[in-house]
Order: sequence, then structure tokens, then C-alpha cells
Amino acid sequence: MSETLLSVRDLRKIYKTRRGWPIPRTALVRALDGVSFDVRPGEALGVVGESGCGKSTVARVALRLQEADGGSVTFAGADVLGASKSELRALRRRMQMVFQDPASSLDGRQRIVDALGEPIRVHGIAHGAAVRPLVARLLDEVGLPKSALDRYPHEFSGGQRQRIGIARALALGPDLVFADEPVSALDVSVQAQILKLLETLRRERHLAFVFISHDLGVVRYFCQRVVVMYLGRVVESGPVPEIFVDPLHPYTRLLKASSPEPDPVKAVAMTFQEGEPPSPVDPPKGCHFHPRCPIADARCRTERPELRDFAPGRTVACHHVG
Amino acid sequence: MSTEPAATAPLSVEGLTTSILVGTTWYDAVRDISFHVRPKETLALVGESGCGKSLTALSVMGLLPPAAVRVTSGRIVVDGVDMTAADEPTREAMRGDRIGMIFQEPMTSLNPVLPIGFQVGEALMRHRGFTRRQARERARELLELVRVPAAAERLDAYPHQFSGGMRQRVMIALALACGPRVLIADEPTTALDVTIQAQVLALMADLQEKEGLALLLITHNLGVVASVADRVMVMYGGDVVESGPVHAFFARPTHPYSEALLAAMPRIEGDLPLQPIPGQVPSLTEMPVGCRFQTRCPIRDERCAVLPPMTTVAGDPDHRVRCWARVEA
Repeated sequence: MSETLLSVRDLRKIYKTRRGWPIPRTALVRALDGVSFDVRPGEALGVVGESGCGKSTVARVALRLQEADGGSVTFAGADVLGASKSELRALRRRMQMVFQDPASSLDGRQRIVDALGEPIRVHGIAHGAAVRPLVARLLDEVGLPKSALDRYPHEFSGGQRQRIGIARALALGPDLVFADEPVSALDVSVQAQILKLLETLRRERHLAFVFISHDLGVVRYFCQRVVVMYLGRVVESGPVPEIFVDPLHPYTRLLKASSPEPDPVKAVAMTFQEGEPPSPVDPPKGCHFHPRCPIADARCRTERPELRDFAPGRTVACHHVG
Repeated sequence: MSTEPAATAPLSVEGLTTSILVGTTWYDAVRDISFHVRPKETLALVGESGCGKSLTALSVMGLLPPAAVRVTSGRIVVDGVDMTAADEPTREAMRGDRIGMIFQEPMTSLNPVLPIGFQVGEALMRHRGFTRRQARERARELLELVRVPAAAERLDAYPHQFSGGMRQRVMIALALACGPRVLIADEPTTALDVTIQAQVLALMADLQEKEGLALLLITHNLGVVASVADRVMVMYGGDVVESGPVHAFFARPTHPYSEALLAAMPRIEGDLPLQPIPGQVPSLTEMPVGCRFQTRCPIRDERCAVLPPMTTVAGDPDHRVRCWARVEA
């Protein structure tokens, strides 16, 4: 077993929502209901699942943008959830985030050199005139010209803005980047450019990624291992391409079968299944997936399947697999 | 597929050019495009942001913002009515009656303060003179048609009480209310999760078959095209660069842009290398003269300064491409 960079164990996050009128009732949303996974140095781990499965919450809680309600996050041996403010500051140099829409995370009135120079100054990496060449080098690394330094975010296209978002995440020389749907808003041709860039950075910087995406094709291209989430729980994990070639969990199979490939010979059977994905506000008992599962039985309706080892490197949470 | 000639197809577009005003100059954002859609047929319009696919749909529906965008030339005939020559009241009578529309984000098309049942039935009151009670009854039937569970109880529910997939079904019910002959769906499943996308596309295909609809599907997703379309038109920079039956197109993508688009798509199966298309789509004001893809094309040459005509691929009159390097001897 190789060393572990990030270790997430039994992570829990519960949101409270108030719904209903005229008398609102408080409901608990278990956004993360005991999530565990590891990321090795230089490895891209894909986290896939549909809206509301908790995949974005994982990143936010692991980076402590939100506080967890249980479990542990260990980064390079350090306890992230228990870290003090100053310890967290040091950890955040090494753990960064890239968002889906970099436009909304860049200040429209700040020039690129200032936006990217800010973390460099704040963390005391460089000061004064030394900042500008550092930012220029970052921009060069993500494929942007020096002329970008003095421009404003609105002057860039979506793909270029994502390059800026990536450059900002790289500014502090992190070991791990959480990338939350980094290419989802981009056109296919530009998406491929950004994926290539991320792949180059991963290899050259030996950078690890937690790559959150709903697009199985993108995850297959970029990631070495994958965690599949469904309503706050991990239902399957395993290496690429095995997990896509031969998915074990019925939900992973459904995801694959529903993802259209650009080939009419392999066209998805656009079969009509009844049923909506249940809401995380009131998840079904037992296996969360059972109302949509073609092979569910009485046990699935009452007993939660634990995530267990199926084959080397592959785990699955299903009563009917193995 | 029907053999009905193009002239009598429910939707037929001839030489459509749509221009956008930038500053004081009109720029062609859709250039001389022609197509028709027959009953029960799905024509997919594919391309990336700014290729003119949505503008084409808005032109067909006559929903262009009048001060800044206009149809400069061409004919758009919907169910026998020339939309380009018609006055606004005529076009308004066509929309929602003969032409149904579905957009990407149903939440922005549905009125948040009106109950679902009323919104679905509204078109029937407006176009068909239904009473409130008749419209409500028909709305229930339509919601059942699009398989909204417990339709009768949900007539009085509001859009926010529906999930994304359910809202899109409501939009479909609304679009089908008056029994249109043409359905225009602009990225109808882009905002949905893949499993819900599969449901909505299956539902649309099913209803299309039942109602004999001509469907113009606008999408950026070649996977969706391969799964549901009969024919495909690839657009780049406002031009149609390739068109053909889906099987012929995917078996032999011929325009350099079509090839590049397919090579840039990560696949779930197989280990094809990913090849990005260099550069980006030029802005409308900076489009090159001639073929608009030439700034990113790996095989461009001096001929590209003149826009190539559409020519056949492998002698197939239905499969056509716009590229000098692909002109067959």
C-alpha cells in the first residue's frame, strides 16, 4: 500500500432546513452520512454522483469551509477538523480548491495580477515587486500570456477564466486540489484543453486531486480511482477503468447506462424508469437506492448495506453483489 | 421516417440569415441555413456556444429582440405559415399553438406564482377558447401524459414544489397542450442529472411518436444526438458545416470541426486519446472571411478565404459537408 495524503473517515454533515407553511418544521438533511475515502500523493480521485448526493459538501467540509458534524479528515498526518486557526492556515497552503464558475469567485474589480498575488502576499511567499514575476510564471504555466496580468476577469472567456482559477489554486504550491465540476460549464473543445492542462499539472507537480464531477467520461479520462456517492453515502469505489467497464453497484450501472456516448450503435436505451431520485431530506430506509433499484428485495428496504471489499481496490455497498 | 417532401414538412427553413447589431454594424450570426423537419422526425442542431443554434430556434419562433437582432433574409415556414412574412399577431397565434417550445431551465419559463394546472391549461384558454374548468381537466390529462405522478393532486401545486425533472415534464405538457405539429427543444435536458435526462428524452421520444411531432432538438451534447436524433446538423460560427443522417454522420464525421468535436469528447468506454481543439470561437466581430473555422482548423489552406459550398460525402446526397478539402472529385 502506498502512502496516503488525504484520509477521510466516516465524515458526517447534517444541514437543518425549515420547510412548510404556515408552521415550518425543522428537517435534517444528512448531506454526508459516513463518507470515507483516501487520496494518495499525485493521484486524481473522482467523486461522482448526481445533484444532492453530497459530492460538493465533501470538499467544503474537508477544507473546513463548513464544519463537519462527525468523522475525521487527516491531511499528511495532520488532523484537519481539529486544527487551530493558525494550523489551518498552514494546511490551506497545501489544500486548494477550483470551482465550477471561476467568474463568481474572482473579484470583478481586481486585476489578475492582484487577484493571484493576494494569496502570495498573505502567506508571505513574496512581497512588493517580487510578486508580479511569480504571478506571470503561474499564468504561463496555465497557458495564459503575460498581457493577462493587468486585465480584469470580464475580459476573459470561460476557458481562460478557468485557467485563472487554476493558476490561483496553484499560487501557494499545494499538494492537493479539490476541483468541483471544473469543466462542466465549458464547451467540449475548451473542456478538453482544461482537462489536458490539469493532467499536465498533476504529472509535473505531482499534484493530487479530488475531482468532483457528474460526467463519467471526464472522470474516466482524468482520474485513477473513483468514489460513487448516492444520497450522502459512498455506494462503490474502485480503480479506473474497471469501475466503468464493469460497475458493481446497481446505481453505478444506472449512471453508466444513462450517460449517452457519441455513437448511435452504442446509443443509450433511453428507457423510461418511473421514479424520481428521493430527496436527501427524507431518504428511504435501508439502502437509499432501493426505490429505484431493479434488484431490491425486503432486506434492502430495511437494512443498510455496509461498504465492504469486493476485490483488491474495489468496494461496494450492496446486499446483492458478491 | 416519412417521405413527405420538404415543401410540406411541418417545419421548413430556407436560406435563413439572422444578424445581430453590435455598435452600429449588423453582423451575421446565422448564415444562410436551410433545413426541414418531417413528422415524427428529430433533427438535432449541434454546436458550441455562439454557433448560432439557439438563435436559429429563436428566429423560427419569431422571438428575436427586435432592436438588436433581425432576420435579414430567408423563409421560415411552420405548418404552412410563412413566419418571416407574418405580422406579430399571427406569429403569436402560432407560438404555443402550432409550435411548442421547451427551454433549458424550466424554472425561468414557468411563472413561480401561478399553479401548475393553470399554466398548463393557459394556452388552451388563449388559443382554443377553453373555459377555466375545461382547461383544468385537459391540464390533468396532459400531466398524466407526461407521467407526473398524482397529477390530479398536483394541479394546484407551484413550480418550486417540483423537482428539476418534474418541472421539465410540466414544460413538455405545456408545450404539447394545443397539439402542435412542431416542437422546438433548446437544451431541454442540459440542466438535468443523467438519469433524469434519460427519462425526459425517453418521454419526449414516446410523445413525439404518439403525436407525430416534428422535433427540432438543440443541444451541445453529441451523446444525446447519437441517442435520440434521426438527422444532425453541425453548426460553427453561424454556418452549417455538416449535415446528415445520424448513422452516416457518426460513421463518417467529415468536416474537420465535426472530427475535432468528437475527438475532444472524453468517452466512458474505450481509451481514445483526448484531443482538444486549439484556440476558441472568434467573437462575432472578429470572424474570418470565408470558412469561419479556419482559425482553428488543422488543414486550412488558401482556399478557405472563400466560404465553401455544401457538397456530398461518399456520394450520399443526404450527408453533406462544407469544406474545400472534403470536396469529392
